[in-house]
Order: sequence, then structure tokens, then C-alpha cells
Amino acid sequence: MSRNVKTALLLAFVALTTFCLIIAKYWFMNGK
Amino acid sequence: MSAVVDTHGHGHAHDGHGHHDQHGSYGGIMRWVTTTNHKDIGTLYLWFSFTMFMVGGGMAMAIRLELFEPGIQFFNPDLFNQFTTMHGLIMVFGAIMPAFVGFANWQIPMMIGAPDMAFARLNNWSFWLLPFAASLLIISFFTPGGAPGVGWTMYAPLTVQMGVGMDLTIFAVHLLGMSSILGSINIITTILNMRAPGMTLMRMPLFVWTWLITAYLLVAAMPVLAGAVTMSLTDRHFGTSFFNAAGGGDPVLYQHIFWFFGHPEVYIIALPAFGVISQVIPAFSRKPLFGYASMVYATSAIAILSFIVWAHHMYTVGMPVQGQLFFMYATTLIAVPTGVKVFNWVATMWKGSLSFETPMLFAIGFLFLFTLGGFTGLVLSLVPIDIQLQDTYYVVAHFHYVMVAGALFAAFAGVYFWLPKWTGRMYDEKLGRIHFWLTMIFFNMIFFVQHFLGLAGMPRRVPDYPLMFETWNKISSIGAFGFGLTQLLFLYIVLKTIRHGEKAPQLPWDGADSLEWTHLPTPVPYHTFETPPVLK
Repeated sequence: MSRNVKTALLLAFVALTTFCLIIAKYWFMNGK
Repeated sequence: MSAVVDTHGHGHAHDGHGHHDQHGSYGGIMRWVTTTNHKDIGTLYLWFSFTMFMVGGGMAMAIRLELFEPGIQFFNPDLFNQFTTMHGLIMVFGAIMPAFVGFANWQIPMMIGAPDMAFARLNNWSFWLLPFAASLLIISFFTPGGAPGVGWTMYAPLTVQMGVGMDLTIFAVHLLGMSSILGSINIITTILNMRAPGMTLMRMPLFVWTWLITAYLLVAAMPVLAGAVTMSLTDRHFGTSFFNAAGGGDPVLYQHIFWFFGHPEVYIIALPAFGVISQVIPAFSRKPLFGYASMVYATSAIAILSFIVWAHHMYTVGMPVQGQLFFMYATTLIAVPTGVKVFNWVATMWKGSLSFETPMLFAIGFLFLFTLGGFTGLVLSLVPIDIQLQDTYYVVAHFHYVMVAGALFAAFAGVYFWLPKWTGRMYDEKLGRIHFWLTMIFFNMIFFVQHFLGLAGMPRRVPDYPLMFETWNKISSIGAFGFGLTQLLFLYIVLKTIRHGEKAPQLPWDGADSLEWTHLPTPVPYHTFETPPVLK
């Protein structure tokens, strides 16, 4: 895997995780 | 200083002539649909941005037409709300952000000595998501109930009450966010991994630095917006109550999440503008940028601070005094790194051999007016004052000084600065100066007077107002019509340059010293730096 692909996958992982965590946090906080 | 490079023996040596100038396998429209060339994609972004600027500007003029005199003349209040919403969304996501992504596409590979962006096909996709997203926004006007009238902030619980146009808008925001994140991943990867040998991070032009930091901001902030609008969508259709008080949710939660994205968004727009100005001012001062390292650190500090100030947009929702104090002090702290940048730009000009061509005029205009916008931001950061001015025209005036006089003036400076490099032709300097002065005068006509309206208590997002506000509103509206017409002159100048402009010299600006000026011919060939330049 090239260095470029590794960098991109890491950044994509950060973005997707942020998206999922923000929804998950309020989902569980609101007891849905 | 950025790009202090060896210019001896490498100028033009590796760059495109003959077969390197071919524009891929396709011609005509298919060239633009299938292109993976960073310059083509940069051009697409810039034209798309200008088109959206005209659409959003048309809406702004419609708004000012309604506000020309008291009473309801042309629009019912609901349609007025739809126009203010779409004006904001289109200008922020369709005009300003794509404009600076266009600059990034054109300039970053050339400034760091890379042959193209790291992921050329992804780059194509990032752009082509935009026209679909913009179409969804515009189509929403023609759905039952019309476009959403929720404001560009898309506040809950209004979002739950809107028609199908809201769904189209949410989907458009998803697409716009995807485009921004993919573009940012491409930009970060390109800058981190594809710099020419010798182009260390602290030798990069400041424009590249500001974009590196902006791209990180986008990767961190855009998913938060996507999360917020996704939760609004599930509140509308899937029985959740994240923000719906009737189901146990909290509308204020939406505001917190939105502004956690929204304030970094301000710097996502402002930082690349700072980058353009940091290229233009040294070039026309014929001096290196003063305090290069401090500019990099100040930019980073602004980016970090932008994540801890979001609640200054919502002092009036009812938060504890300790919360208000924290956000007030954190916000005033941003004035420090911003002040560092402003003083560095002024110090760059100090005792420089200044000349005042159109890019420099726009840069100086930016310096005056952005500083004024920053200063009114400081006023609004103070809780007792903000509580008085919340949702008044003072706020409208403030953020237009940042968005228009900040971002748009920087974009104009950048277009006039790099147009000779991109097209190989010079723009009409006389017309450029006329464009600057008319823009400057009409801009202040529109927005300076809005400070007075706000201080007198005129609320924003309302199509009618008491008679006492009539005079300033008339002046503001006349300014808006003048400003809009003046931008047609800009279009004429650009088209005239492309078709009939005089041949540009190799180095039209004496003080420009980044790689695209020192190592590449004018006009720049279709493919550049296939062999990386050697920098000493």
C-alpha cells in the first residue's frame, strides 16, 4: 500500500469515526 | 521565507512543451467531465464558484429589493426566508469554499513542485459532486412548500416543520460535505507526501500552509455538520427526537453541534484567504513576508482556537455565566494570532518598494475591511454587548465584512494575481482598478450602514421594518444593486483577458518568488513538474 493511500485512509477513518461517534453519542445519551 | 529556492539552471527545464501540452484523450465537454488534471479541475471549481456567486448574488439583490422600502412589496415572508436561507447556503458552500478549492487545485501542486494532486480521479469526483448538490438546492424551490426557510444554520425544530425541500437541502449538504472531505484528504496527502526534494514544510509558500491547516479543519469539522443534518433527517422521518422537544429532544443541542462545525467553518473560509493575501502583499512590496514562521504558528493557533469558541454564537440561549465567560475569553483570545497576521502584513509593506496594481489594491482593501470585520467580531464576542445585538443587522454587517471583504476580496486579489500565469495574458489594469474601486465603494454602501441599523435594533431575516430604518436600508439596497452590476464587469475583464489580453511577460510581478513564478513558463503548460525541481 502506497504512502499516499495510507495517509488518505487514515484521514477518511478520522472523518467517518467523527461522523459516527457524534450520532452515537447523542443516540445513547437520549436513550434511543 | 517561502520558496527560497535555487532558480538557477532549473527554470523551465522540465516543463511541458510539445506532447506534454495535450489535454488528455477527449475534447470538448468530455475533456471537462473526465479530466484528472489539477489545472482543469481548478478552472472548473473557479467557474462553478463564480456561477454560484451570481446565483447567490441574485438572491441577495432580491432580498435588498424587498428591503428597499418598508412594507411587503414583492415576497411573502415565507419566500423571503427561503431566499435568505438559500443565499447563505449557496454563498458559503457553493461560492466561497469552491473558489478557494479552485485556487488550491491550481496552485498547490505548482507551489510545492508536484506533478498533480495525489488522487487525480478522486479530485475529479470531488468537483463533480458539487453541481449535483447545487442543483438539489435550487430544485428545492420547486418542491411543495418550496425551499426550506430555516436559515443557513438549519436550526431545529424548524427543520422538522419544513416540506420535502428540507430533505433535498440535507442531501445537498451531505454531498457538499463529502466533496469537501474528499478534497481535503487529497490536499493533505499531496502536501505531506508530494513536495519536491528540498521543499521542507517551513519553506512552503504560506498559501500552501494555510490550505494544509484548512484541510485538517475540514476533515475535523465537516463530519460534525454531516452528523447534525443526519440527526435532523432521522428526526423528520425515522421517529427519533434528537432535537425535537416534543419527543424529549433538545433544540439547543442542535445549535451546539452546528456551531461546533460553524465556527471552524469561518476559518475554513478565512485561512485560505489569508494565504492568498500572504502571497500578494510580499510580491507587490518586493520584500519577503515579514515573520514567516510566526504566520505559520498564528494560522495554527487560529485553527485550534476555532474549536473552543462555538458558543459565542448562542449566548442568548440561556447558558451558565461561567460558560459565557469561557467562550467570551476564548473568543477574544483569537484576536491575538489574528493581530499577529495583520501586523505581519503591514510590516511586510513597511519600507517596501510598493506598487498598487489591482491584486495589491484588493489585498489592501482586504486588510482594511477584514480588520474592521474582525474588530466588530471582537465587539460581538463580549457577552453584554452581544445580548443586545444578537440577531440584528450589526451581526449581518460583521460577518459580511469577514465573508465578502475578507474572503471575496482575497479571491479577487488571487484571480488578478495568478490570471497572467494561468492564461499567459494580462488583464486590463485600468478596468481592474475600476472594478476594485466600485467594489470597495458599493461594498461599504451595503454593509457599513447596516452597523447603524443593527445598533438601532433592526432584526435580521425579517422582510419588513419600521419607517425609522428606511434611509439606511435604501442606501444599503442601492449599494447592493451597484455591487451586483460591478461583478459583471469582473466577468467581462476575465473573459477579455482570456480572449484578447496582451501577452503576459514571464514574470509580471517582480516580487513574486514561489515556484510557479520562478520555475515554470508563462502561461503554465498543461503538465508541470513531471520531474521534480531541485531546490537548494
